[in-house]
Amino acid sequence: MPAAEVPIRIALDCMGSDRGPQVVVEAAALLSQRREDLQLILVGDGRAVGPLLDAQSYEPRRLSLRHTAQWVTAGEAARQALQQKPAASVLVCSQMVAEGQADAVVTAGSTGALILAAERSLGRLPGVRRAALAAVVPTELRHGRGEDPFALLLDVGSTLQVTAQDLVSFAVMGSAYARIISDNPRPRVALLSNGSEPRKGPPEVVEAHALLGDLEGLEFLGNVEGLDIPRGTADVVVMGGFVGNVVLKMLEGFGEVISDLAQDQRSRHLLGRLGLDQLSSGARQIQSLLDWESYGGAPVLGFTHPVIKAHGRSGSRAIANACKVAAKVARSDMTQRIERAVRQQGSG
Amino acid sequence: MDQVVHAHWRHVYRWDLDKTYLDTRFETLSELVKIPFERAEDKVNVPGSATLLGELGRPQPDGSNSYIAIVSGSPRQMREVLEEKLRLDGVHWQEFHLKPQLRNLRQGRLRALREQVGYKLPLLLESRCRLDPDLAETLFGDDAEVDALVYSLYADLLSGRCGLKLADQVLAEVGATMEARRSCEQSLGHLEGQRKAGSDPVETIFIYLDRGSPPALFAPFGPKLVPVFNYYQAALVLFARGRIDAGSVLRITAAFLAADQCSPQELANLFQDIVRRGHLPYDLMEQLALAVHDQKEGLASAQVLWASAQRMLDLAELNSDARVSPSDSLDYLELLARLKTARGL
Repeated sequence: MPAAEVPIRIALDCMGSDRGPQVVVEAAALLSQRREDLQLILVGDGRAVGPLLDAQSYEPRRLSLRHTAQWVTAGEAARQALQQKPAASVLVCSQMVAEGQADAVVTAGSTGALILAAERSLGRLPGVRRAALAAVVPTELRHGRGEDPFALLLDVGSTLQVTAQDLVSFAVMGSAYARIISDNPRPRVALLSNGSEPRKGPPEVVEAHALLGDLEGLEFLGNVEGLDIPRGTADVVVMGGFVGNVVLKMLEGFGEVISDLAQDQRSRHLLGRLGLDQLSSGARQIQSLLDWESYGGAPVLGFTHPVIKAHGRSGSRAIANACKVAAKVARSDMTQRIERAVRQQGSG
Repeated sequence: MDQVVHAHWRHVYRWDLDKTYLDTRFETLSELVKIPFERAEDKVNVPGSATLLGELGRPQPDGSNSYIAIVSGSPRQMREVLEEKLRLDGVHWQEFHLKPQLRNLRQGRLRALREQVGYKLPLLLESRCRLDPDLAETLFGDDAEVDALVYSLYADLLSGRCGLKLADQVLAEVGATMEARRSCEQSLGHLEGQRKAGSDPVETIFIYLDRGSPPALFAPFGPKLVPVFNYYQAALVLFARGRIDAGSVLRITAAFLAADQCSPQELANLFQDIVRRGHLPYDLMEQLALAVHDQKEGLASAQVLWASAQRMLDLAELNSDARVSPSDSLDYLELLARLKTARGL
């Protein structure tokens, strides 16, 4: 790290993961030893987090604890939980960012609670009516100058009911994000629909198609279908949160089934084992493509500061990768760039 | 055994050298081979070790001094260069022991080349026999070898929590020489005769986490043993226990900041870490702030104090918990068995 480079401070919610604080603490301990450019703030129940941390190798110079005795549990209604728990860990994380004590939030907890906490503490960028949860999915075609093997999908679960205007806003934000993260000067943006024709799809998609077609500065491809997502026809695929969440979970499930089947065949049949071993490098490549843990967290675009949502089932590797994404987003002034893009496109 | 009763010794500090005072890490074979041939000025300190030892050795206004004893596993052939290094650092010592590795080799004691318990324990006990029984001690070691075990056993032998029988069992277990076992027996006999009721001379055992071991590994040794990530943390504990004053803490803080080893934020994190692990009282921040204010020399470290205060607020509600529980009597043979398995001793 250059001497002048200021570390990125990440408020890390320890209490959100389905697998408990252990995986979050492991991730933070690992990063504290490897990343000099990060300051990790573990937000959670110190009585649980402290002993877990003490059992790890860690670098205390880059790690601190913010104790809170409240957190949102799985299955709790987000709005009610945050009302009843003003010191909930996810809310404390967002408040720390709002107060300038941290630069980014990372949580594997409830998406609803995260969105509400960020709305309450950070607020949305001017011109953004709804935040969008963006996720990367593996694709056949490569993207950007870095030849990234994934495309960006948004929204994948933040906003269930969307308007055409929301979809346009998502397209603009997604394009700005891909431009920076994938080093892609003109990301190709598409709308997900049930056909490529402009008049296909529900009214908000049809209307969004027309609005996006008129937008200057955006490389709009038109509509794409579900099968185009894994192909990688577009760099950014825009959809409503309900559809996006179903698509994302289906792709994840599909990936897991392929991995399990391959594993099963390998262990069951000698011939299969031989055959698969011959293809081992290819199989490994597929497996690494389908490995969602390696992609880290999903950014929630539209807030004034970086907000990263990791998968609820995340292990320590996925949490660590989510923190790396948070650092990259914070370091690149992403939110300011998105704000500029939204303003220029006049999509608000 | 001659007893040296020196009215001006204030406290005893015992230091290991390699990986505790000197940074003797190596990443390649050629770096390892170079270590014995390094000149004194090429030897690198563990960050903050020279400053801390300098502060510990600083004469007090009442004329009292600290007794500095160094017990190193380095071979005796390195005495000249190591003494020169200590002189360059401005360290004054009363004892400096190096391992008779050449003698071990000549006598075919191959096990003794690596073994540390049978080397260090007799030396520590012999040294203690020469000192005033009321003198308290603070010990410094690292997590690379068996310092935690040797120092804890030494502390328990001095306090009478365990005796010759256990010491001899441990020495036999590690394959110590008869000479070492007889030396321990003799020293313990002497110390037994002068022990006062309730006496527990070893105050603190600092284990510098050179290898980055998890602090919880040392929990079985109890609250006397304090694993530290660097000597800033040790300085805070020594301040809390009245062994150094706020001025010393400030100078050590300044040394870490000046050498770019830590930013104010990082020192604040280290402060929080040692408090969170239960080795410091929560009101230390307040004590330190008051002491600094009284001395009117806290400006350079004001940022560190401010950031540390913020970090203490972050721990707010954990406040009332005692996280380091008092140790029960230690099972040294069990601990030794674990170490032997882990380190291939």
